[in-house]
Amino acid sequence: MKVEKRKFKGGYRFKNFDGQITDKIDAIDIPERVVIPLKQGFGNEVPFISKIGYTVQAGQIIGRDDTSVSSPVHATANGVVEKVVTIEVFGCEVQAVVIKSNGTKTWRVLDGATENWEELPTDKIEEILYLSGVTALDKEGIPTKFNSSVITPSDVENIIVHAVGSEVFNLSLSVLLGGERVHNFVEGLKILHKVMPNAKVHLAIGNNEKEWLTTFSKILDGIDWLRLYALEPKYPQGYDEVLIPTILKREFPHGYCSANIGATVLSVQAVLHVYDAVVEGKPLIERIIGFGGAGFKENVHAKVRIGTSLDFILKNRIKDDLEVRYILNSALTGDTITNLSYPLDKSYRMLLALHEDRKRYFIPFMNPGFNRDSYSRTFLSYITTKRAETNVHGEERPHVSCGFCEEVCPVRIIPHLIYSHVERGFIEDRLIDFGIYKCIDCNLCNYVCVSKIPIAQYIKEGKDKLIEEGLEPPLPDYDMKGVEEYLSIREKPVQAKDEEDETS
Amino acid sequence: MKPVRKLLDYIYSIKLLKPFHPVIDAVDAAFFSPSELTEVKPHILDNIDLKRYMFAVIIALMPSTIAAVVFYGWYVLAMIVVSYAAGGIVEVIFALIRKKHIEEGFFVTGIIFPLVLPPTTPLWIVAVGVAFGVFFGKEVFGGTGRNPFNPALVGRLFITIAFPTIMTTFWRVPFSDAITAATPLSIYKTSHTITPYIDLLLGQCGGSMGETFRIGIIVGGLFLLFSKVADWKISISYIGSVFVFALIGNALFPMKIAPPVFQILAGGLLYGAFFMATDPVTSPFTKAGKWIFGIACGLLTVLIRSFSGYVEGVMFSIVIMNAFTPILDHLVLSIKYRR
Repeated sequence: MKVEKRKFKGGYRFKNFDGQITDKIDAIDIPERVVIPLKQGFGNEVPFISKIGYTVQAGQIIGRDDTSVSSPVHATANGVVEKVVTIEVFGCEVQAVVIKSNGTKTWRVLDGATENWEELPTDKIEEILYLSGVTALDKEGIPTKFNSSVITPSDVENIIVHAVGSEVFNLSLSVLLGGERVHNFVEGLKILHKVMPNAKVHLAIGNNEKEWLTTFSKILDGIDWLRLYALEPKYPQGYDEVLIPTILKREFPHGYCSANIGATVLSVQAVLHVYDAVVEGKPLIERIIGFGGAGFKENVHAKVRIGTSLDFILKNRIKDDLEVRYILNSALTGDTITNLSYPLDKSYRMLLALHEDRKRYFIPFMNPGFNRDSYSRTFLSYITTKRAETNVHGEERPHVSCGFCEEVCPVRIIPHLIYSHVERGFIEDRLIDFGIYKCIDCNLCNYVCVSKIPIAQYIKEGKDKLIEEGLEPPLPDYDMKGVEEYLSIREKPVQAKDEEDETS
Repeated sequence: MKPVRKLLDYIYSIKLLKPFHPVIDAVDAAFFSPSELTEVKPHILDNIDLKRYMFAVIIALMPSTIAAVVFYGWYVLAMIVVSYAAGGIVEVIFALIRKKHIEEGFFVTGIIFPLVLPPTTPLWIVAVGVAFGVFFGKEVFGGTGRNPFNPALVGRLFITIAFPTIMTTFWRVPFSDAITAATPLSIYKTSHTITPYIDLLLGQCGGSMGETFRIGIIVGGLFLLFSKVADWKISISYIGSVFVFALIGNALFPMKIAPPVFQILAGGLLYGAFFMATDPVTSPFTKAGKWIFGIACGLLTVLIRSFSGYVEGVMFSIVIMNAFTPILDHLVLSIKYRR
């Protein structure tokens, strides 16, 4: 199969940082108790449908709502339902089911799953996918007729599966796809194509993964509904907003989501879970996550049951003498994990532990900087391993128009121009002309800023203030699907905030 | 580093010195990187800061500076020290009045300014020039980042007008003590003789002390472009447009306009194109604006050199285009983001 080379303008290649995740994989035991949030991944919170005191099996559905945009939630350990509690996760309150595990590792196999899935009617495959909980994965879920995404399977024109490691820390393709798994992955793609027959499937691999590109071009040869791409692993290539223009060569509906233009963007792991569900009958009860950053004693992958608390996962894995910051999924956009009692859910890809480096280095501007990353080429770190830590590396200074943020901006806006308007309080529709709503919050402008100005925060503030003034993002002039469904989901947190304001 | 830390901590502990904390902070920040951690996303930040950004310019100026010391002796160093001291005082006074940080932009002005002076300039004129440049070129507009003109150029412009004899007749050829009024450009203007290019490249001719060793300027300039501190668009379009306009002009008016390669190698063009026109604060930030800025600088340089009473036009053309920078950006933005 021909490999198409594509790239986007802007972006930045994060290369050679320390604490990269190695190809090793650990299995983590089932903890004594799992805490399963009733909202995980894409979709609304679902109601609890089991009872306290009931004995449940791993893989048994304990939360489900077929009417709202959501996917079922499963018990992830064999044991007894102890209680339903309200927990706070990253500032949102969510109901969670606590299950006391009996320690056994079996799970309930999904009805109807079979190796001969090709003989199953599409309806049945959709049902298996929905009941397995896989459909809640990734940014907008996998569409089925059960309302698991904002659109239906027949609306999907393009499925983009990306395996581009464009972040500072990335999961290893060898771990995810090693051995037999690569064939399972291809099978998963075929299943998805059967469910969404109108869709072309686009598989994007980083052009640094030469071996995987050759492997895939061999095994995918002859599949006419699939195309293979080699993309530059520049951050933020993995974003829907960047993948869609690079691969489909069409504009992203900024302010809306990729599903609205009939595209479903999935990760490698989601496709593997699709295979596991339909062929092996395994519901989504565990995830492979990576441990990135110098704070870990060993940077490995781990297979973990959903609902395991982060404490339990991280036990004995962090260097003792180091002050670290725990971050979810991404060093650029991930939330700081302040509470290690959070349970792992479907949306976790990796846990980062970065060194909180408070050390004051002597005459920093004259340091040759062998281990220091910079967008500018003023450090001698072109080939050496660089440190990923949370120091600010400099004092905030006036804006000097160095232009770095404009060069790296993946959506081709001029971040410092919007910053200087917002900073002076010019909140007007000129900002929309400047493309403020195109901003995808990738935070790269903050990263490269010479004057250490939090440009991305100003842009965000500008967006919020514009919306406050009633200047919403303009609706694109082409037809979109599932817009109302998407807005109903997206606006949830805003409404909740308003209610709070009224009561206080 | 430990004694420095101890000394700084001791100075911080003296109550009497409290009003001078901006100065001490600046010294502290120059010697030690901050201990603060990121509070908003992203969790990690680029290692560059304004100090290193400015320091890259100083490194790029090192070949010229060392050449100037070799050519003209230790007096050059004295001029640089005076320039830093006088400009530094103005900077510190403003920081104290505004109760703000001392800004790093001055790192560059302090060295870029003496290098555009004749090697015989009296020290007091160096002091007056740099103080004027920092004061009227930068501080009155609100400090680093808000200045419309390059402060070093404002200082140089001021002493060109205030002390015209010193700035036009006090040149020296390296390794000789004779004072001469001749620079390659003035020689061309009076006798149409072209100084050999190798002499121009190696600096064997009259000129400002930092702008004659042109190999060093090219090396430093390329380092600046490579390190992304200076934008290549401005340097390339400036030098390129001088070449093109001089080529056309020389064909049309061979008696007035010098040939292109000579124009590029003579005078302060390379120095201006690499180190002064590229100042990000005083040049346009839009891409199209940068091209227009560079091309216009080139055209103006050729015109002023050929048709005005002055032999050199680099400084004037950059200052004129500095003044047009806001309107260039405004024009480009209004075309790019028209409704």
